[in-house]
Amino acid sequence: MNDLARYVALDVPSLLAILSMMAVTYGTRVAGFLVLRNRSLSPRATAVLEAVPGAVLISVIAPAFTTTNPADLAGLAVTLAMACRFPMLPTVIVGVAATALLRHVL
Amino acid sequence: MTATVHPDDAAPEGVVIKGAAPDEGPGRSVSTEFRRGLAAMMPILLGVAPFALVLGSQAAMKGLSPLEVALMCGLNFAGGSEFVAIELWRSPPQIALIAGMTLLVNCRHLLMGAAFARHLRSLRPWQAALVLFVMADETWALGMDDARRRMAATGRPGISLPYYAGLAVSLYVAWVAVTVAGAVVGPVLGDPHAYGFDMAFTAVFLVLVRGMWKGWRRALPWPVSLGVAAVTHLLVPGAWYVPAGTLAGLAVAYVVAGHETREAAP
Repeated sequence: MNDLARYVALDVPSLLAILSMMAVTYGTRVAGFLVLRNRSLSPRATAVLEAVPGAVLISVIAPAFTTTNPADLAGLAVTLAMACRFPMLPTVIVGVAATALLRHVL
Repeated sequence: MTATVHPDDAAPEGVVIKGAAPDEGPGRSVSTEFRRGLAAMMPILLGVAPFALVLGSQAAMKGLSPLEVALMCGLNFAGGSEFVAIELWRSPPQIALIAGMTLLVNCRHLLMGAAFARHLRSLRPWQAALVLFVMADETWALGMDDARRRMAATGRPGISLPYYAGLAVSLYVAWVAVTVAGAVVGPVLGDPHAYGFDMAFTAVFLVLVRGMWKGWRRALPWPVSLGVAAVTHLLVPGAWYVPAGTLAGLAVAYVVAGHETREAAP
């Protein structure tokens, strides 16, 4: 397969997944405008909706916390410590470098 | 500012910004407003670009072609859900799972759209439809901020459409272009696991979550989500740990919010 074909490869399941993401996301954008514009949500409902992104993101990375590999655990600890204080780019660079180093050493 | 000049004289092709603040006066032509939007987004792009690079390269490692990355980022245009989708991506992708998680991650759009609604009421339906299509955290935050200022000046709600277009165009072009660049460049780096690149994802998500910090009480769902998702991952095959952890965290958020409302009541 030449480079161009690899760059523009598009299979049907992937396209369907992408289109379903588009439909769902645009739905959330329009629904708030159309349905909620004349109503006010209770503070409780608002608080729950605001908690959604954080709960999702944490759940997605939870498997990383179940590892029993000491190198991966130590790398995770370094990444977590960095994430508490530093911006995205340094956290990613240090987290990746520390994990790579620990995997070679431990 | 030469306030005596009629706005029509200054605006190209006779286009006047609908509902423009009087004190902003003439000279605030469509192109001026558009450029103001482009400029306002620039500092944010510096922060967004690294995320886009990481997303693109991770997508490529999951087997997506640069075209597929461009389609996902251009049609969906909601970074958080794209990170989640790529993390859960298998070949072939589990469409129901990805659509369901996209819905969960993007639920916040409901609130954003509702808050934005009063400023979009004077727009034509197709204009509002377009404004909402490119409503992301960044465009919404800057657009709302500008609309609030304009309302303070004029007493009327409404966004500056060309300003918002400037915000949206710069963010949209940057997001799609840089993720595609990441998808093209990423695979050159080789096997991600050997170099620790798989930790990049965890790092990005932890930083995103840190940015949502609003005090200890609002963070209570986080350890619960983590614990339930981790246990589910160990016990149940597949990606069910994501909805399980999410729903557990939301249950905690519901209880915490109930306490807050009761305390707030006299």
